[in-house]
Amino acid sequence: MGTRVAVVGAGWSGFTATTPGVSYKELMFAAASRAYEDAGVDPRTQVDSFVACSEDLEEGTSIFDEYVPDQLGAVQRPVHTIAADGLFGVVTGVMLIGSGVARTVAVEAHSKASDVVSLGRIDRFALDPVLNRPLGIAPVALAGLEMRALLEATGRTVEDCAEVASRNRDHARSNPRVADPPTAPPPHPLADPLTADQAAEPADGCVVLVLAAADESGTGPAPTVTIDGVGWHQDAPSLESRSWDRAVYAERACADAYRRAGIAPADVDLAEVDDRFAYKQLQHLDAAGLADLDPARVNASGGALGEGDLREANGLARALACVERLRAGDGATALALAWRGLPSSSGAAVVMRRG
Amino acid sequence: MGKRVAVVGAGMTRFVRRAEETGKELSWIAAAAALESAGIGLDRVDAVCLGTAPDAFDGVHRKGDYLADGAGAWGKPFMRAYVGGGTGVFTPIQGWYTVASGMADVVLCVAEEKMSSCRPHPQGAFVTIFDDIIERPLEPNLLWIFALEMHRYMHAYGLEKRDIAEVAVKNKRNAVDHPAALLGQADLTVDDVLASEVLAWPVQRLDVSPISDGAVALVLASEDVAGSMTDRPVWIQGVGWNLDTTYWTNRDLVYPEYVEHAARMAYEMADVTEPRRQIHVAEPYDPFDYKELHHLEGLLLFDKGKAPEAARDGVTARDGDLPCTPSGGLLGVGNPIAAAGLMKVAELFWQLRGEAGGRQVPGTPERGVAQAWGDLMQVGTVVVLGTDGGPATTASDPPASAPPAPRATALDDAAFLAAPGAVDAAFDGSYRWDPGAAMGRFLDGLAEGVVHATVCDACGRTLVPPRAFCERCFRPTDGWAEVPATGVVETYSRCHVAWDMQPLDEPRYPAVIRLDGTSQGGFLHLLGGFTDEPTIGMRVEAVWRPPQERTGSILDIAWFRPAGEEAGS
Repeated sequence: MGTRVAVVGAGWSGFTATTPGVSYKELMFAAASRAYEDAGVDPRTQVDSFVACSEDLEEGTSIFDEYVPDQLGAVQRPVHTIAADGLFGVVTGVMLIGSGVARTVAVEAHSKASDVVSLGRIDRFALDPVLNRPLGIAPVALAGLEMRALLEATGRTVEDCAEVASRNRDHARSNPRVADPPTAPPPHPLADPLTADQAAEPADGCVVLVLAAADESGTGPAPTVTIDGVGWHQDAPSLESRSWDRAVYAERACADAYRRAGIAPADVDLAEVDDRFAYKQLQHLDAAGLADLDPARVNASGGALGEGDLREANGLARALACVERLRAGDGATALALAWRGLPSSSGAAVVMRRG
Repeated sequence: MGKRVAVVGAGMTRFVRRAEETGKELSWIAAAAALESAGIGLDRVDAVCLGTAPDAFDGVHRKGDYLADGAGAWGKPFMRAYVGGGTGVFTPIQGWYTVASGMADVVLCVAEEKMSSCRPHPQGAFVTIFDDIIERPLEPNLLWIFALEMHRYMHAYGLEKRDIAEVAVKNKRNAVDHPAALLGQADLTVDDVLASEVLAWPVQRLDVSPISDGAVALVLASEDVAGSMTDRPVWIQGVGWNLDTTYWTNRDLVYPEYVEHAARMAYEMADVTEPRRQIHVAEPYDPFDYKELHHLEGLLLFDKGKAPEAARDGVTARDGDLPCTPSGGLLGVGNPIAAAGLMKVAELFWQLRGEAGGRQVPGTPERGVAQAWGDLMQVGTVVVLGTDGGPATTASDPPASAPPAPRATALDDAAFLAAPGAVDAAFDGSYRWDPGAAMGRFLDGLAEGVVHATVCDACGRTLVPPRAFCERCFRPTDGWAEVPATGVVETYSRCHVAWDMQPLDEPRYPAVIRLDGTSQGGFLHLLGGFTDEPTIGMRVEAVWRPPQERTGSILDIAWFRPAGEEAGS
């Protein structure tokens, strides 16, 4: 990549099933304040551009970008919304800095899932209105189809997936963001072979990362974590055309991120990958070429299964976990990998290194 | 700065009221036309950028993913960005930073909107742009905010409707020469506009752009490869974007500061220091006629309050000193929201290459500016394009290649509804928004007949609506204050239609109320209980519902009436 970019600030709020008495604006303000304090920047004068990641129907507001500037310190500043997971926002921040139009960028994504009474019905509205929606199937059925295809193609078992879910929830016990140790719901069937204990539960939370150009000698931040490679990719949007056993979007996003970082999968020693369903972690590790990575080094935060399903903030939560580990010296090269969730077939990957 | 970025191809569909084509198909038609214009195939495209506004139009959650294959993004890096109505001009900004950063050499930018899928009226998608706690309970419609802003603008500068109607006439006449236009009308007069139906005074039917379906696409290329595609690249010289506070009722609506900020950002990048001399053609956003004037001032092309005079004097005519909206704009070509904005950038591309046909402005324009606007009257997006002294083109030069003919199939309402296989689906989402700490206390206060404000000690402001943080100082607010439920009418409208554009039996009077004791604080509410027509600047007081009927809602205030008068209806 061209301009070297560093993560210079990180902040979060929530990460609980519900956040009663706190509006999404207040949730965002808390996370942004922490991130700016961590970065040592004043957003009103020292952040050049702001990227928020959200989807209208998740918020219950059309053109939701209207409602983001105040709580990010972004009033009368360059702000735009990426309708995708927060990791796409990181990719955008890297591009803004690489283009030269900004030196410092704040990236935000949040979930106030507890405001949404009908989360499943909103997910169903993402299905093709002509071909798929009339069938009346729940989106989670697509996860069942995909999981079955993956197990069939790879020889893995339901027990392998259950082990992922169990391990990630164990990891979350040492995660200070997780207030209450997560317990697995009963394994009642969702869409065979998928069961409820292998699916992440919705949660509220917000993550803000502050990115900055790292090549300003003398005046720039001293980077401890750099973003060395990014990739993002769209596989077939239609259900009828996509691969069911492979996460093609992740394969290509990771390949681009590795190429830009000049590394091979073997160089990665820490990974945080989307695990909203336990089988997705296995599928994503295959796509990233990390199937043999020590399981203790994968989703050590607990992932979405441990921290909760933060909707469009999931990818940013994965990146946040990487930043924390790299800052702590627990690893040298990390991969964060996001998936946009059902029924999408798109994802983003970011390679980070300890500086 | 990163790599230089050129526009090397453009294409669009016709803009129609109801398209037979799906959103995916509209996207594909525009994308294919742009690729044809650039003389390349999809295999040369490294990444795709999509712009499209509310999901509610198409009736698909995550509609960016849904539209991806139509936009040519299957198997490619793909992202959707949006900033409400500003999206169309933001889409090439997204493409610009994708190329300028070195992530891609060739990017396909596609902007799509299929508004007609939204029933019973696409205006329904706009009902949910308003604040969920304090505005939606008032049952607003989109026309309100335009009418409130237009009235404020007219009041501030003493303008008459006739001054503003000139823009509608100019643009709808210009659109006659646009092959994609929905509403070109050569014989339209100012009197026609003034005689059209009053929707929400001062907004009348012919002040407004039409609901439309359509798509537009551009091909952007880096300086490394643009030369292999065309000998007449049009360069993106500057980009700018800016988003103002959500609290639109706390702003003076007379001037779009956010547009000025976006313009200054783009001009600085483009080394434009004297925009009135260095900009040769402008495509300001014109969903309503007054908005073109508003935006020309925000773009620093005219002094504040002086754009109407320039329009009246013909300065902004296609053959005027500063041709503005030679395309015909949203008022004439149509307004499929995101696509309409990108259409303006495409128009600059054609104008600067001398390919605009009957719309071509005289002389040899070398630089143009396109701008879009949206959200809660809040966002400005600006792109400056220029030829950088490339091969000269003039209106008299024959174009090297004519733009691809736009196409899309228009259906009438009956055919649209009877289309075989048409799928009806109601969105059955349900929400229970947490008002949070600040707004929760505000609502509790209303139930008690008290208006609570928060105070920021750093800037000394007293804030209504109250917030837990000061958006200007970016710090927690410091405490609470009670303010009187009296104030001044900042602007108002007399609205004759409901959200679905059906006529109301009795008009409603939305207004922005500036409350006493606040720092430009206030909110959207309704006027009532008056005998004479309200006026801007009129003092008003809240009419509270009886205590037993209050629920902790903005509706605990029934309306605002002239101060000192007895309660009316």
